[in-house]
Amino acid sequence: MKAAVLLIGLLCLIISCSKDRNFDERELHLISPEKIAGFDPIQASDMYSGNEIGKVYEGLFEFHPLKRPYELMPNLADALPSVSADGLTYTIKLKQGVLFHDSPAFKEGKGRELKADDVIYSIKRLADPKLQAKGWWLLDDKIIGLNEWREKNVAAPATTYDEEIEGLKKIDALTVAFKLKKPYPQFLYALAMPYAFIVPKEAVEHFGKEFLNHPVGTGPFILPVFQQSNRIVYTKNPTFREKLYPSEGEEGDDKRGLLADAGKKIPLVDKIIVDIIVESQPKWLSFQKARADLLEIPKDNFDSAVLGGKELAPELKSKGIRLFANAQLDVTFFAFNHDDPLFKNKKLRQAMSMAWDRGEANKLFYNSAAVEAQSVIPPGLGGYRKEFRNPFIKYDLDMAKKLLAEAGYPNGKGLPAITIQTRNETVSRQIIEHFAKNLEKIGITIKVGMNTWPELVNKVTKRQHQMYTMAWGADYPDAENFLGLLYCPNASPGSNGSNYCNQDFDTLFKTATLLQDGPERSAFYEKLNETVAVDSPWIFGFHRTKFYLSQAWLKNFKFMEFNHSQFQYLNVDLEVKKELSKKF
Amino acid sequence: MKSNSLWKDAFYRLSKDKLALCALFIVVIYFLVAVMSGAGWIASSWSQEVGASNLAPSLDHLFGTDIFGRSVFQKLIRGTQVAMSVGVAAAVIAIPIGVILGALAGYFGGWVDDFVTWLYTTFSSVPNIMLLISITLILGKGIFSVYVALGATSWVNLCRLIRGEVMKHKEREYVQAAGAIGGGHFRKLFRHILPNVGHIIIINTSMQFQVAIKSEVILSYLGLGVQGEPSWGTMIDDAKLELVRGVWWQLAGATIAMFLILLAFNILGDALRDALDPKLKGK
Repeated sequence: MKAAVLLIGLLCLIISCSKDRNFDERELHLISPEKIAGFDPIQASDMYSGNEIGKVYEGLFEFHPLKRPYELMPNLADALPSVSADGLTYTIKLKQGVLFHDSPAFKEGKGRELKADDVIYSIKRLADPKLQAKGWWLLDDKIIGLNEWREKNVAAPATTYDEEIEGLKKIDALTVAFKLKKPYPQFLYALAMPYAFIVPKEAVEHFGKEFLNHPVGTGPFILPVFQQSNRIVYTKNPTFREKLYPSEGEEGDDKRGLLADAGKKIPLVDKIIVDIIVESQPKWLSFQKARADLLEIPKDNFDSAVLGGKELAPELKSKGIRLFANAQLDVTFFAFNHDDPLFKNKKLRQAMSMAWDRGEANKLFYNSAAVEAQSVIPPGLGGYRKEFRNPFIKYDLDMAKKLLAEAGYPNGKGLPAITIQTRNETVSRQIIEHFAKNLEKIGITIKVGMNTWPELVNKVTKRQHQMYTMAWGADYPDAENFLGLLYCPNASPGSNGSNYCNQDFDTLFKTATLLQDGPERSAFYEKLNETVAVDSPWIFGFHRTKFYLSQAWLKNFKFMEFNHSQFQYLNVDLEVKKELSKKF
Repeated sequence: MKSNSLWKDAFYRLSKDKLALCALFIVVIYFLVAVMSGAGWIASSWSQEVGASNLAPSLDHLFGTDIFGRSVFQKLIRGTQVAMSVGVAAAVIAIPIGVILGALAGYFGGWVDDFVTWLYTTFSSVPNIMLLISITLILGKGIFSVYVALGATSWVNLCRLIRGEVMKHKEREYVQAAGAIGGGHFRKLFRHILPNVGHIIIINTSMQFQVAIKSEVILSYLGLGVQGEPSWGTMIDDAKLELVRGVWWQLAGATIAMFLILLAFNILGDALRDALDPKLKGK
């Protein structure tokens, strides 16, 4: 009897295993490498939560999925806003007939139309002191009256959302006007971030504390209830508005087949299945078994996937798998603490920079795929000039020795050991060990300080470090986000952890950031980027490259730095999938 | 028949046990290596490049080279120095604390005992690795913190054992006799009782030694241990990423080095207990 039960059980298992590939519906299989905290946009501080939230919620603007450099386009807004001449008032008209998902929060369970009030409500929610939104920094001190409203509600027993705010006005049922305190050209980027996605008041009130598990947005996919598990399944939103796949992109996009779906109604897939897999080995195996359509190659598996750092391994190629290598908008660096009198010595900074063999580091740690950073701004942003070469990042031991002697420390004599703080993670440690080994050659002793991530952040914000190393990734596609790392008023606890101060730089930076996007601003950024490079405020590292693998049947994938809205544009070719699945 | 003293008898038993002698020999070798490395006679040039990055083991490089082309064999020797020094330092700190607290608690009883019992139960109720991590976070990183952290956490077991033994012994006739001829507390405790429970310290130390080595490896693996010096823990941490690329020699080297010394201490500890604990005699 027992044996029979066991046998039947086993049979069921085999049948269920073999039947898990669905060729009738367009299913998109993705992997999220981190657990999702919940679906409340104002708390989406990490990229992975942002990616999930972007499937159900939407913002007023989004980044164009194909155009590069990144370009904003209207999403819930009907068009790009009209901006007043002084750059302070943004008037935004909303699209007509955008519906929220059906939900018990609404009357009769039917989603109602999106209105200007929802935008105002969502922005106020971001500022609500009771909610402690993680994204508040985005609008802190930006909109007239919003900070005052926040202050007022700190002590109040409940936040009063009814009060009108000068800088946040409803013009008519579908039009909102934002009034800013001072020019903030990055404002629209802020509105495109998940923090500022639009939520309906009814759902927040209906679900209360459970709101973060009951997403009710306007987005292309629905998820009635979110449960903490290892799998999230989204289905196509049946009441989604008429939104079409773009018909233009970057040059060459049509050759790459990225425009094949132009003019089609999105979303293009019926279902998205996200598996949450933290460990890199199961991720890799899952992709190899075709249980995932897209994979960011885990560093450990790089060598078995990409031969010689360039060519896709033949067994992957034979299955139609494609490789995408994409420069990221980021920069890695060793920052000096400019509070330390030692590092006021420019020649010392330059000597240290020139003693590091970046070519070897690139080979050892980035599979030779990273770009050596000449200065702060990464390629792909206005202000980066391809031809610019920073003379002080060249590996030249003789020159480094000469500079060190001129700095007053011939052969490192008289120079104390320098401690660099980093994360306690294998590669971070190895990078400093490599740096230390290089600098030993000119007589400088480097020590490693290992920290947990919060510890490191704490040391940097409290200025308790001599040097530290980190990487900075773009929040939005504007070089201001990078140059600001060297702006004096941003010194710790702000984002300028090196506490670098340079008056000329600051004056120029202030002028540049008030300008609207355009060639004039780019010229300013270029000048800032190149003058500051020579001063060696940091030891510049690399702009890194991310590697993705995609299955042959995944269509329309193009690397996006800000990818929370990307998934609605992806498509699955069922014919190809059926055909190729035999090979897995 | 002439009877031998406990120590003489123990030594005789130990010398009969071939496996234990073998273990003792390994331990002595490790100590010698550690001392020679500490004095700078061997492996002082561990940080120099000896070849290309990640060379496989060969006659030139016994355990291959690491990512920066340094000799894994020399790093292993430096790691031995770190591991053994941690064992010794932890013992030097833990034994006095454990013995003194345990002896006082066992001998005096009453509130002293209550206090010491409370102290060590509190210590042992916190998971050891958590305690280690928090101590190294407070003291800052480095080998000194590892010494202190391990010393401060590994006295508990010894303290408990000594307390129990002292309780048992303080009622014995020889202690009463010492009291009767005018011996004070101090004399009774340190001249009479302690020498009779001394074997516990030896057995316990050899057991604690391997715990200390293991903990150092774990802490260094987590990035909380020694900084800028090779340790078996950091070598295993390096190997974690290299293994998928087929670079197995760092992991193998560190594991073998660790395995041998831990096994040796285990066998030695067992043999010492057999030899020294009168209750186990003849079994």
